[in-house]
Amino acid sequence: MLESKQITKVYGHKTAVDQVSMKLMPGHIYAMLGPNGSGKTTWMKMAAGLVKPTSGEMLFKGEPVGIASRERIAYMSTEPYFYAWMSIRDAGLYYADFFRDFSYDRFAELLKRMELTDDLKTRTLSSGMMAKMKIAITLARDAEVYMLDEPFNGIDLMARDEIRESIIEHASPDKVLLLSSHLVEEMEAIADQAVYMREGHLVEIDDLEELRQSQGVSMADRYREIYRHMEV
Amino acid sequence: MAKLMKYEFRKTLMVKMVILGLTALLEIVYLIGLWCKQEDMLGIGVALLPLTAFGSIMVTGLASVVILHRDMNTKQGYMLFMTPNSCYRILGAKVLENGLSILLTGACFFALGALDITLLVAKQGQLQELLDAIRSFITSIDTRLALDFPMLASFTVNMLLNWFSVVTACYLGVAISAALLNGKKLNGLISFLIIVLLSSLVSWLQRLATGTIVDFKTTFLVDAAVAFACAVVMYFATAQIMEHKLSV
Amino acid sequence: MKFDVNLPIWLQVMDSLQTDILTGRLPPGSKLPGGRDLALNYGINPNTAARVYQELEKASLCETRRGLGTFVTEDLERIARLRHELALTTLSDFLAKMARLGISREETIRMLTEEKG
Repeated sequence: MLESKQITKVYGHKTAVDQVSMKLMPGHIYAMLGPNGSGKTTWMKMAAGLVKPTSGEMLFKGEPVGIASRERIAYMSTEPYFYAWMSIRDAGLYYADFFRDFSYDRFAELLKRMELTDDLKTRTLSSGMMAKMKIAITLARDAEVYMLDEPFNGIDLMARDEIRESIIEHASPDKVLLLSSHLVEEMEAIADQAVYMREGHLVEIDDLEELRQSQGVSMADRYREIYRHMEV
Repeated sequence: MAKLMKYEFRKTLMVKMVILGLTALLEIVYLIGLWCKQEDMLGIGVALLPLTAFGSIMVTGLASVVILHRDMNTKQGYMLFMTPNSCYRILGAKVLENGLSILLTGACFFALGALDITLLVAKQGQLQELLDAIRSFITSIDTRLALDFPMLASFTVNMLLNWFSVVTACYLGVAISAALLNGKKLNGLISFLIIVLLSSLVSWLQRLATGTIVDFKTTFLVDAAVAFACAVVMYFATAQIMEHKLSV
Repeated sequence: MKFDVNLPIWLQVMDSLQTDILTGRLPPGSKLPGGRDLALNYGINPNTAARVYQELEKASLCETRRGLGTFVTEDLERIARLRHELALTTLSDFLAKMARLGISREETIRMLTEEKG
């Protein structure tokens, strides 16, 4: 569904993503793991078409990502990105204007579950409220690929259950969900695949249940093993 | 396209409100001066209103360049570039919205100016003369517009096309800065120099094309055509850079 | 439900459902939640949830009726046998642990009868 071929992104003297080739298959929830600066965000932004690769290519259903793929790929960045003048309602109407797969009803329902009202100004939201709002607006699309960068960041324990639930609801045999997080334990049960990134490289992709069954190793164990020798 | 333009308009709403507020303030000063025979206030109005008109048109144009810069260099750009719109449409919406805004601003100031002059003329005379003045103003507009309409229209079109060439030159400079020079030293200075260079190039081409033409009307036409051609080339160049090189 | 993340999650959910079936908390013939609802109830990946039903079916504890959903088996004998097997495993585990503590079989029986549960 979503595939990168030898994709590389260089910023000045820093190589953010280095020759990464990987293929994400529908029907899976991928946990993308790695410390800050390991290339997760840059890879996602390239898939969203916001960042152009220095070399290599990013394909959605075999075609280079672009205008068509943006219709089918829902991306949530870590940083808030709404216009300063927008209320939550304005932001929803904006999505409705540009994304055919966006449903304001679904958005309203998700907001309700996140205990937000659409009259709030995006500028005045606390970081926790903003995090919930970003998830609600992204999941209100009926996309084929969802990429959520740090969906649990800044979200209190109670709301995390709500978010985990919304994510599971969106999983389907014909969809790809890609979640990045440094809160590894939040994703143990909901992800079935783990993508480990280190210093711009792809380390490996694990089937989590397989890893538990054959080696008795959890995602967090494997995480520690991979990043143990790194000077963080 | 209309949706993109709607949001471009919304982004420049703040600037437009400031212009409107300032103009309203000066107009009130002018009207009080006129009615209460306060020469100082009248003077302020007469001096500053045309200046505001000119400044507003400039600012409206510049605002669009500033917003493009912000869209390319801040997180806010995600909002625009994650939508399934090509850079041609995104940029096109910006150019069109800006052109319309400038036309509208110009038209509003034109109408306000005409009203203020009529009031001034009327107030100098008696009540009877007020009515006469209004009547004669209306008829004069009628006849003058009928007479000079082609002239007025071609002047407006010429100005607008020239403005397009300036605005697209700025867009190109901003795009080069954001997409190609990102992170390099003197980024801002280089892009400023590019804008100056492009603008002078357009003027040079215009002089070259109109150099031997004596007829005033033809000069006007050729000048506008060159500006338009340059604007189109720069528009395509900008969109190409955005489409293939821009990372937000 | 809190999982031991070092063990397969499908196995833990399956254990939990199996216990409910063997104890009758999920009566024979009753309808089980759909795969997605199971995933939501336990907060697990839908593929993991699907695996749970596959394994329960393999153990003949439930059956999927096309278009209707997944149901607990009505084979009472099967349930009873499995329950018995599970009891025996638990018992031998327990006895092995007692033996490791050096407590004889007779001592264990005496302790069991004196134990007030």
